[in-house]
Parts: sequence; C-alpha cells; structure tokens
Amino acid sequence: MKISLKWLRQYVDFNITPEELADKLTKVGLEVESIDYLGSKFNNFFTGQILTLTKHPNANKLTVCDVNVGDSHVSIVCGAPNVAVGQKVVVGLAGAVVPRNQHDAEGKPFELVKVKIRGVESNGMICSEYELGLGEDKDGIMVLNSNTIVGLPFAEFLGLNDIVFEIGITPNRPDCMSHIGIAREVAAALKTNYKLPEVTINESSSPVEYSAKVIVEISDKCPRYSARVIKNIKVQSSPKWLQNYLSAIGIRPINNIVDATNYVLMETGHPLHAFDYDKINDKTIIVREAIDGEHFVTLDGKGRSLTSGMLLICDANKPIAIAGIMGGINSEITDSTKNILLESAYFNPRSIRKTSKQLGLSSDASQRFERGADPNATIYSLNRAAQFIAEIAGGENLKGVIDVYPKPFPPTLINVSLQRSNSILGTNLNGHQIIELLESINCEYRVDEKQSNDEDIFTFQTPSFRPDLEKEIDLIEELARLYGYDNIETKMRSIIKFTSNSIQTDIVDEIRSWLVGRGFNEIITNSLQSKELAYLSSSEVVEVMNPISKDMAGMRTSLIPNMLEVVRNNIYHQTKNLNLFEVGKTYLKIFQESENQKSVENYKEEEKIILAKSGIANFPNWAENERISDIFDLKGEVEDLLFIFGLDKYKFIPYSTTKALVDMPVTIEINQIEVGYIAKVQKQMLKQFDIEQDVYIAELNINILKSLSKIEKKYTPLPEYPMVLRDLAFITDKVLPVSEMQETIYKAGGELLKKVEIFDLYSGDQIHPDKKSSAFTLQFLSEDRTLTDVEIEKIINKIVEAMKVAHNAALRK
Amino acid sequence: MTMKETIDEIRKQLNFEITKFNSLHELDQFRIKYLGRKGIISELFEALKNVPADQKPSLGKELNELRVYAQNLYDENKYNLESNQSSHTELIDITLPGRRKWIGSLHPITQTLNEIKSIFLRLGFEIASGPEIEDDYYNFEALNFPSDHPARDMQDTFFITNKTLLRTHTSPVQIRVMEKQQPPVRVIMPGRVYRNEAISARSYCLFHQVEGLYVDTNVTFSELKGTLVAFAQQFYGSDLKFRFRPSFFPFTEPSAEMDISCFLCKGKGCRVCKYAGWLEILGCGMVNPNVYKFVNYDPLKVSGYAFGMGIERITMLRYGIDDIRILFNNDVRFLKQF
Repeated sequence: MKISLKWLRQYVDFNITPEELADKLTKVGLEVESIDYLGSKFNNFFTGQILTLTKHPNANKLTVCDVNVGDSHVSIVCGAPNVAVGQKVVVGLAGAVVPRNQHDAEGKPFELVKVKIRGVESNGMICSEYELGLGEDKDGIMVLNSNTIVGLPFAEFLGLNDIVFEIGITPNRPDCMSHIGIAREVAAALKTNYKLPEVTINESSSPVEYSAKVIVEISDKCPRYSARVIKNIKVQSSPKWLQNYLSAIGIRPINNIVDATNYVLMETGHPLHAFDYDKINDKTIIVREAIDGEHFVTLDGKGRSLTSGMLLICDANKPIAIAGIMGGINSEITDSTKNILLESAYFNPRSIRKTSKQLGLSSDASQRFERGADPNATIYSLNRAAQFIAEIAGGENLKGVIDVYPKPFPPTLINVSLQRSNSILGTNLNGHQIIELLESINCEYRVDEKQSNDEDIFTFQTPSFRPDLEKEIDLIEELARLYGYDNIETKMRSIIKFTSNSIQTDIVDEIRSWLVGRGFNEIITNSLQSKELAYLSSSEVVEVMNPISKDMAGMRTSLIPNMLEVVRNNIYHQTKNLNLFEVGKTYLKIFQESENQKSVENYKEEEKIILAKSGIANFPNWAENERISDIFDLKGEVEDLLFIFGLDKYKFIPYSTTKALVDMPVTIEINQIEVGYIAKVQKQMLKQFDIEQDVYIAELNINILKSLSKIEKKYTPLPEYPMVLRDLAFITDKVLPVSEMQETIYKAGGELLKKVEIFDLYSGDQIHPDKKSSAFTLQFLSEDRTLTDVEIEKIINKIVEAMKVAHNAALRK
Repeated sequence: MTMKETIDEIRKQLNFEITKFNSLHELDQFRIKYLGRKGIISELFEALKNVPADQKPSLGKELNELRVYAQNLYDENKYNLESNQSSHTELIDITLPGRRKWIGSLHPITQTLNEIKSIFLRLGFEIASGPEIEDDYYNFEALNFPSDHPARDMQDTFFITNKTLLRTHTSPVQIRVMEKQQPPVRVIMPGRVYRNEAISARSYCLFHQVEGLYVDTNVTFSELKGTLVAFAQQFYGSDLKFRFRPSFFPFTEPSAEMDISCFLCKGKGCRVCKYAGWLEILGCGMVNPNVYKFVNYDPLKVSGYAFGMGIERITMLRYGIDDIRILFNNDVRFLKQF
C-alpha cells in the first residue's frame, strides 16, 4: 500500500525524518519496502521571475537575465528567443540535474554549475519543457502562469513535493490500509496523538427518506448499509490538489465524484460507492443474492456471469453493483450525472472474498471488505465524502442518512492475564504498562467489566476497526509489538529435555557423502514434469489440477527422465564424463480419492536414489588408457554402497522388461525384497533425449534400504587359524551365468568355504568357441583348527564333482 | 694429552672427517675407523681402565656421548647417501600430475541444509518429516488458515484435487508431529515445498524449507529470540547484527521476521540487501493457541515457538547466486564450485 507523507501529516505530527519514520513503521510490523522521493529529480529547481534583461556584451544571441528566485536575485545567461521581462520561469541553480540536455543527441541529463559564458557569469539556467522532461518543446523557455508564486521549489509547484512509502500490509491488518490507519500506528509508535478531520455538512431541508429507500434482504451478508443522496452536483475534473494526492499514491484521477470517494477510501480505509441516482429505478436499493446465471456488466466493461450466493446491490428491477467489489456500467457516474446516491456499507468478509475469488475480480474495495472493514465507520466515511463532494462538486446534501443496521455488533471485550503475557513473552511487564500500551492503540481499559477481584486479569474493549483482535493472544501480540521486539530479552534455556537417546543419523546423509567421496556430483531436480514423461514409468501418475504449464502437469514417477535431461544438458556444455546422483521422491496415486478417506493415504511418496554414469570410467591421466564406462562400473559402485551399509546379502537378478526406458536391467534383491535395479538406458530413450553416448543408471528405494540396513554394529572376533586359498578354473558353456557357478561352489563347499571370488574370465583360441573358462579363488577357514591339505582336497573334489553334475563343467588344469 | 683433551680432539676430528666421505663405501671406512670393534672409540674405552678411579665416572660419560655422537653422524650420512643414490638410479619426473580420481560434490542446497541441521541438532532438536502431497486440513485448516481467509492468498497453491494439494510450506509437519507426540516436542522439519508462481530469476515452482518447532512448559518469545540468534551466529558469524520485526503468520502469534545485517556490505547497503542493510532470513513466532486446539494440547499448560526458513534463499545469499534457476539446472561446472 502506498502512503503519502504529506497526506499522513494531516492526521499526525512528528519531527523525524522520513527514513526514521520508515524504521519506526517497520519495527511495529508495517514493513516499509521502499521510499519514493517524488520530487527529488527537481531538487534545486525553483520558480522565478525575470526582472531585467541586458544584451550580452560579447554575444549577439545571448541575453543576461536578472532573475528573482524568491529570497535572492541571480544573474543568468540565456539564449532562448522568447525570453522577456516579467515572465515567470523555471530556474535551475547550481547542483540541479537537468533531466534532458537539449544539445545532446540522446538528451542525457547533466548537472548545473556556476560558469562564465563568454566572460559573463551565469548562476543557473532557465529551462525549456524539453529540458525538464515535461514536454517536447525545445524552441524556448517554459513560461509559467503569471499568478505563479516566485521562489517555490519546482517540485512543490508541480505538486510533487511528496514522499511516498510502499508499505507491506499483512492480511490481518485491514485497519492499516489507509492514511488514518497508518497515522494511528505512527501515533502509537511515537507516543503522540493523531486527529481525525472534522466533518461538517450543510444539509437541505428535504429528508433523504423521501428520495430513496434501502431494503437489505440478506442482513448477515450485509450487516450495515448507510447511504446519502446528493442532488444537483456538477461532474468535472477535481481540483489540482486532490489530483496530486491521488496521483502520488498511484491512483488515476477520473472526476470529482469518483476522486472524492477514492480520496475518502484512501483516507479512512472505508470503501464507498457513488451511483447515478437518476439511473436507480424506483429510487430503491435492494441488497439481495444473485440468481444463478444472472448477467451483469461491471465498471471495467466486462460481462460477468453470476451465481447464487453472490451479493448484489440492485434497484427495483436490476443489479447495479456487485456488493463490495465493483459497481456497474448501468449506474456509473458520467459527465451528465446530476444527482448521486452515495453508499457506505459493511459487508461480510467471507462472502466478499468468496465472490471475488469466484469472479476472479479484486478491487481496492474488495480487498478491504474481505479482510474486514469497520462496521462503525460507515457514517463517518459517508459524511466525510459528502462534505468533500459538496465542496468540490457543489450540490445539496439531503437531510439525514439512511442507515440500515438491524443488529449492531456488540463491542469486543478481551481479558488479558498479566502473568500469561509475561510468561509467553519472557518479559516483566506490570499492569500499568499493559494498560498504557494497549490504550495507545485505542483499546479501552474496562475496569467496570472486571469479573472478579483477580489482580492478574485486565479487560479491554477493542476498537471496531481491529477485527484481528479477538482473543487474549491477539492482545499479547500487540503488547509485544508495542513494547518492541528489540526490548524483549534474548536468552536461551539452560536445560533441555531430550525425548530420544541419541542424535539421529540419517543413512541418506551417509550415502550422500559416501558417493561424493566416490566422485559423484549431486543434482537436485524438479519433481513436476510433463504427464508424458511421468507416464513413461507408471500409470499411477499424480496430476496437478492447476499447473503453471503443460511441462509441469504431472509428478515424477521415476528419477530417470530428469537425470537424462541433466545428462543431456551437461553433454551439450561439453561435460561428457558424468558421475551423477540424486536423492528425491517419486509420487504415485495408488487409490482414487473418495470422500470418507484421509486423502493423503491415496498417494505414495517414495524416497529414491538414482546413480548415473556415462563417459569415461577412470579419471583421464597420462599413465593409463581411457576406458569407457560399462554396466560393471556402476554395478561395482552399487555393490560397494550396499556393503558399506551392512547390506552384503544382496542378489542381482536379471529380468526382461517391456518398459521403454531400459536395457539389460538387473533387479537388486535383499532378503527377497526388491531394493532397486541397475540398467543401461535404452537406445530409443537416449535418442528421445538427444544423448549419443551410453548411460548407466541405478535406482534404489531409500525407505527399503533404511528398513534393511543394520543399525547396530557388533564386533566379530578375528580368526585364530590361518586361511587357506585355492584357485580353481572351470570350462563351461559360454552362456552359463557365473552367479550360478558360484552358488554351486558355495553349496558343495560347505561351511568351511567362506568366500568364492571370480578373478579371471577367458574365452578364446585355447578353448572351444562355445565355451569359456572361469577362474575362482576359494577361501577356506575353520574357527577351531588349522585345516590340512587332505581336508581341503576332499572339499575341492566335492566341488569339482558338483560342478560337473550341475553344469557339465570341466576343471581346467 | 689428558683423556679429556683426547676426547675433545676426536670430536673435532669427527666433524671434519665426515665431510670427506662421499660414498657408502667410504662411509664404511669411517665406521670401522671410529666405531669398529678395534676402532678409536673402543680403544679409548680400553684406556679408561687406567684412569684414576675418581675421574672414571665423568670421563666414562663423556666417552659414551662421543660414541653416540659418532654413531648419529654415521647414520645420518648413510641415510642421506642412500636416498640420493636411489633417486639417481631411477629417473622420475616428479612434476607430472598424480593419478587423480573423479571429485564429487554435494549440491549447494544440501550443503546449506546439512549445516542448518547440524546446528539445530547441537541445540537439541530432532528431525521429523512429512508428505509433500498434503491435505488441505494439515496445510491450512489446522494451521489456522480458515477457508475463505485472505491469509491463504499469501501462498499460491498447486491442487491435486479440491482437498489435496502440494504443500506450500513445511508447517503441516508441525501438526503431524504434535498429533503423534506429547510435549516436550523439539524438532526441525526439512523438506520440499511448492508454490504456484511464475518461474523467474527470483522464484521457482518449488523450494526447500527448514521448519522448527519447540513446545514445552514456559517456552517464551525471549527464548525464541535466543535460539534463533544462536543459530544465526553459528551460521553467519558471531559479529552480525540482528533484528526481529512484527509480522503475520496465521499459525504463530506473536509473529516475527528475523533480519540480519547484510554480511556483504556490513549493513551499509548494497545490491544484495536492496540498499536496506538488512537481509530477511526467516519467519517465526509463538505457536498460536488456535493450533493447539487441533492437536489437543492445552494452551494454558504449554507454550512454544515455531520458525521456518527457505534454503534456496539462504544458499543464494551465501554464495552470491542471483538466479534461483541455476540451482535446478545441475550444470556440473556449477556443481563443482561447491
């Protein structure tokens, strides 16, 4: 909200700078977001009068002017052809920055200094419209009206000698959406008083009741409707001073009637509306709800389709305004308007907000009504506007006001406990301070309402312009605000009760730092994506009802598409060797929503981690050859990762899939639970993302990893007896998976065989083309004795036999 | 020459002679001459037998020291000669770079979040989390945003259905935690939140927050200030200035926004702080008693505070990032800077 300093000073006096005022306002919760010094570009420009002219001794076209600039005379050399004695002109003195240089092709600004022009001193410049940025006339100096006062700062002459604050008003403070509202806060902050403008109205003898009637059908949506009728007005432009006030805060002047209601709106915060009285049928105002499908054209020229429940202001047979939001074209004030009906009502905030949302139509009025206007302000604001209109548009105010207010709002009384105030704030306020602080914001201490002799409880009646003050805590907040947040001690408690016995460590954090150590860069991507991408991995896509764009209408069901996008973008920027990971959620809609369910349970959010590898596997260096990553590079990373987190009982199970995303996928299983998969991204998919190199990915479900990972670590005694190693190589069919051989070896080896590791794989000239040789290292260990060669030999024979039976495998000598 | 004089003389001689041995072979001659079984020092030990008894202890000590001295000289020179020799036999260009590995990095958002988490963990907070797809009830209603209330306009919302939405803040986790646990509750709640705003340099459709909540007996506004100042001083430095100014959040009352003096210009005013000298870093306040009603806490028995901050904003301020979108582009050249 824009607040004019000049305007504010009408209601409250203060001797602090605008910057200090901004600081005070910010400290009471009215954040000053910016300060606009409207006239600052005209610093050092004044209105002046040319007293004498003499020819320049050394230049034909120049004149030396003696100019009165108020408290002094200055001598200025001027080259303008139209300069003449007696003219009122605009004078820039040394230090002024002329907005546009007439002699510069681009019209750049320049600063004035005292100079000698061909030997004659010149103390400033008499400016043209062009130079001042007020018009395009370069042909001569700007000549002001002959009744212009000499010596005025030019900004003041233009009505620009004002400072405007942009204040962020929080939604709980409708009372601050006006100059009087801010004045009240300034007065409280500075411990001074504010004053309301006095209103006096000259009324005619004709009672308003004879000229108009108001019927409120829905009084809970319109608790109060006040109105006046003003006759024989003259619609014309507002006086300059009024236009200046409105322009300063960004409101376009329209005509004296509309400007007067806008002025009072910005002054008191109470919205008013003026109807052309002669366009009101039967001179009757009916406040009723709209009928479904009713049509209405608002002031902005747009047709609106109304629905039942929306509150309308109507005459005897048609709507003339959408209550509290916007008037209609059919009763608008025009140049030919002679008589007006001025409305000042109080509407139910929820009803206004609902209608405003439904229509997608918001106005200065609706913003105030929906936050809560002051039901007791209708008459004051109405009279204030009536007084104004009489002053600037003539006309006669009919006698009295129409005021439909069947059920006046009772005053709000709130009890505040001194003890509770202090215990919530951590302060040591006493009763006197509480009364003083709250009275400074117009809360009335009601000693008469005291319920008991309880010394701790204070009863206050809150002002009706503060709808946000409903409960004790609201007053405690006011106490904190007025006492000053800065004055509340900053301290910490020395004893903390803990509810669990250890600092939580998050396995995800550990995985992250482990991966960073392994050379992976973490990425974070958008969980909103196009539905097309989301449906690639699942049919249970969560869709957004009101997306920003089609690209973000679904929620991701897999981390792969985002990862591929990142891979693509990096390759595009010449980063072709990539080790990336992301920890993020995927989202699924697992049930249709029904009324009786908790809606959140229809959705499944799973935290996942995705790893991607592409490009060269080893960091390029001078000593080794580059090697392109393959699936075993990524598989190794995953195996190490699982091992680190105590998940060494994993199994990799190849599976075939028809899903569009991946080739050669392997499922990772732990205790028969699927944890994730490793795969190569399918060519088709890579093409879709414009990626021309292989990409390997692994996606693991973190929730499952968390539930499986061993939390407690236990010590295992180190073996006392030596380990025995034996190498065996088998020749088998090429297609036989190594994992199956390992399984057979483990089974046949018994409990003394602790580990089987493959160390070589060979196929080639020395063996049959359909065969391969797989060489294993076997580790044998006993906990209670040193193993003998005879024992080991026995086991090995068993293994060789088992391999022969199971896989037709021959021992390679 | 007395024995004492002999010892001193040999010491000088040692120092002089050692410089003449330039190979391991020559050095061995030195060892035999002085330290050998029939060497000079051994002979002196023999001669010690003939020294008067009262001089024996002191001379014996000196002789021992001489032997140690000679041994050290020998060892040192042997080591030097050996290491020189090895570098002569194999030519290594030590200026070649080492065999390096890929260097990974944590996303700057994660780094900021980790730091915030570790500070609050030290202050006795635990970590809690909740769903991103939320009920209207948790995201608004139970946080004292009644339907049809203008406060809802503060947060533009993505809807999934009429009553399901993408949470606009991490505050619904407060309700979920309090529903499950009786006071004392002392948690921080990090997570991803969504706002239906046009994407620009200054706003993205999602960001990350850390929410904090402490409910217990006699928790005061004063303590809220204390805790957040302790946090800010650990995070931004102990010399910063801070201020709390009144603000409005439906779920806290009194509410405040915390500003710190701009760490770039030290409060003088610069582009980053928009010439205000202050940077807004978080919102906070005392839990509104209306909220306790939704979770069956007794507002007459407990009080508490809550706070929330945006990780992206803090990250951008810290590293001087002026466009939020770069955080989500994941250009490795960017990621490697952190």
